[in-house]
Amino acid sequence: MSPTEAIPLLVVVLLLASVGGGDVQEMSVTFEGDASVEALDDVHVVAGGTTTVPTDADVSGDVYVIGGTARIEGTVDGDVTLLAGNLTVVDGATVTGTVQTISGESSIAGGADIGRLSAFEAPAPSNSSAQRVGGFLLQFLVLGAAGWWLAGRHPVLLENVGAAITDHALVSGVVGSLAAATLLVLFVYMAFTILLIPVSIVGLLTELLVVLYGQLAFGYLVGTRLPVERARVATVAGVGLFLLALEVLGMVPYVGGLVQLGVAVVGLGAVLNTYFGLQAFEPVALPGGSE
Amino acid sequence: MQLFEHVRERRWPTVFGYVLFVALMVAGYYYNITFVQLGLIDLGTRLVGMTETAVSAWMAALALSTLVVAVATGVTMDRRGWSTDLRTKLRLLLGVVCVQFVLTLVAPGIRTVPAFGAWVLAASVGLGVGFPVSFSLAVDLVPVPDRGYVAAAITAVAYFAANAVPLSWSVDVFSRVMVAAMVPGLLALAVLSSGRLDRVEDVLSELGTQHREFGRGRFSHPEPVRARSAAFVVPVALMFGVFFVDSLGFLRIIDTPTLLLSSWQSPALSTRLFIAVAHVVGAVMAGVIYANFSLSRIFLWTFALFSLTHVLYTSDLRLAAAFPSLAGGASSPLNPAFYAVAVSFYTTLNFALWPDLSTAETVGTHSAIGIGVAGWLATFSSTALALYFQAADLTLLSHLNVVQALSLLLLSGVAAGLYGRRLVALARGDGGVSA
Repeated sequence: MSPTEAIPLLVVVLLLASVGGGDVQEMSVTFEGDASVEALDDVHVVAGGTTTVPTDADVSGDVYVIGGTARIEGTVDGDVTLLAGNLTVVDGATVTGTVQTISGESSIAGGADIGRLSAFEAPAPSNSSAQRVGGFLLQFLVLGAAGWWLAGRHPVLLENVGAAITDHALVSGVVGSLAAATLLVLFVYMAFTILLIPVSIVGLLTELLVVLYGQLAFGYLVGTRLPVERARVATVAGVGLFLLALEVLGMVPYVGGLVQLGVAVVGLGAVLNTYFGLQAFEPVALPGGSE
Repeated sequence: MQLFEHVRERRWPTVFGYVLFVALMVAGYYYNITFVQLGLIDLGTRLVGMTETAVSAWMAALALSTLVVAVATGVTMDRRGWSTDLRTKLRLLLGVVCVQFVLTLVAPGIRTVPAFGAWVLAASVGLGVGFPVSFSLAVDLVPVPDRGYVAAAITAVAYFAANAVPLSWSVDVFSRVMVAAMVPGLLALAVLSSGRLDRVEDVLSELGTQHREFGRGRFSHPEPVRARSAAFVVPVALMFGVFFVDSLGFLRIIDTPTLLLSSWQSPALSTRLFIAVAHVVGAVMAGVIYANFSLSRIFLWTFALFSLTHVLYTSDLRLAAAFPSLAGGASSPLNPAFYAVAVSFYTTLNFALWPDLSTAETVGTHSAIGIGVAGWLATFSSTALALYFQAADLTLLSHLNVVQALSLLLLSGVAAGLYGRRLVALARGDGGVSA
């Protein structure tokens, strides 16, 4: 596991350890090789290789697995969390706290003594049509309500963002993809400083909101092409149709995902280039160019 | 793009001008980033038996000598009217390519330090004449609105070829490939310069008058930019900063096998292709931004990308220092990909900026000063500083930490400068709104 690959998962570990409320003074990480541990720091992270708590060991601390293999044969007085990699708890082993599987492969023997067993079920939209419909309706309600309000109160904002999408799609896409990539990396690395975790979370959420604003502008554009006179109704209908089209696109392997990504970055760039629609985007005038 | 308009209206000589400019610049730049920058290190260390420090010192001498020759050439071009004479520029370029062809051919046979030094000096003459001449062709061949896109095309093709084609960084390999590639280029330039083919002469006659329309660059309106004005000095200083930061960081990265073998010299073609594609994406982005935003915006993006790239590199190194077992692990291609985007950004800017800060009458001097000071002097200074760091046994992390600090300083400096300029304008009542 390279540093770049390890950093996001280590950030997650730090977040989980912070949320857990424990007083974490020391943390150790195993990146490679076989290790048999007789004692643990407050938090031990298994990022590679194989770490074993042997049969006769009784260790105290929390274990996080983000890569490699963790094998519990003895007693762990704390929680064990599996984020990626493999976890094996054999017959006769004891974990006094919670064994939580978020992702990765876990094998918990029936004869193991576990305080609490927990498995995080990631939402699987493709497996449940009800969940997909629910998610779609929720997104439609939120964006539709925002569209209804903006189209009624501040239509010029949507007009400006919409014009940046239709008239300057390439520029919007370039600015959107640059901003998305750089901000994403920046916020992840901010989180790694620990001190800036709140800023990082706020930043990522803001980035998501800007993307949603871009989607709203796409919906507005679809609405202007519908045979509906009332702007508010047209915008809400346009948002619905746009979200539906995105859902359909998501079913097309590879190409659908790429188009969705393209739409997201063009929307993001259009929002940024127009200062959230407060100003129409005009490229600089070049001498010798068409005015 | 005006190119499509020219194609629609069948202005083939103008379209040929685009193709000629891109081909000449790609060939020249590819030669520079491969043979001159990488082949010379191999020639000095492996074949001549010099230390890396000695080779770096000679490369710094090459940079300084090239700067002197370039400025002399640029000033001469403008004073004698060669800058507005397409045929003279093509003949000069033919001479330069002839010199470089011979130098490329004999390079693998060099075995002594004096011969190496003579080769370096001769190469600096070729480069010093070649840069202002080739950049000045933009005023004859590329319309102002398309310069950003044309610069992007040059950057994309040159870097894609340099990264995707798996050449070993050895002077023998470079020499063989370059000699083979130069032969058709030499023939083409010879035909263009000969003045004996009526069809070619007609095309050149038409292209030769285009400087009247294309000559005045984007930033030379309404008044031409003078070399002593802030409008010229500030971009030169900022480009110096970009070249300096890039060169100082890259010199150490390519000197670190773990970083080099997991990126630009990776045995995996997929990694090299990934970096090559990142260069293309970066170039296209820079071209679009150059053509649609102010100059300050592209400088801000360039410094932001460099800052981010070095934050990525130094963060990885800090993590590896904290957990030593990570140090030997495979490195992610994300860092060199970000680096590639940043490099493509400023390279695109470099190709478009100098002709756009010039008129047909000043393009020789302005290109020479711009590329000479920003490019070659920055390379000379950064090489000297890198040698000092090496002598002081500075660790990789400390070295890149300096580079990161410089890029962050430049980013905040540009942002503060822009804000300050706006502040001054408002205080003077130029475009401000009073309460």
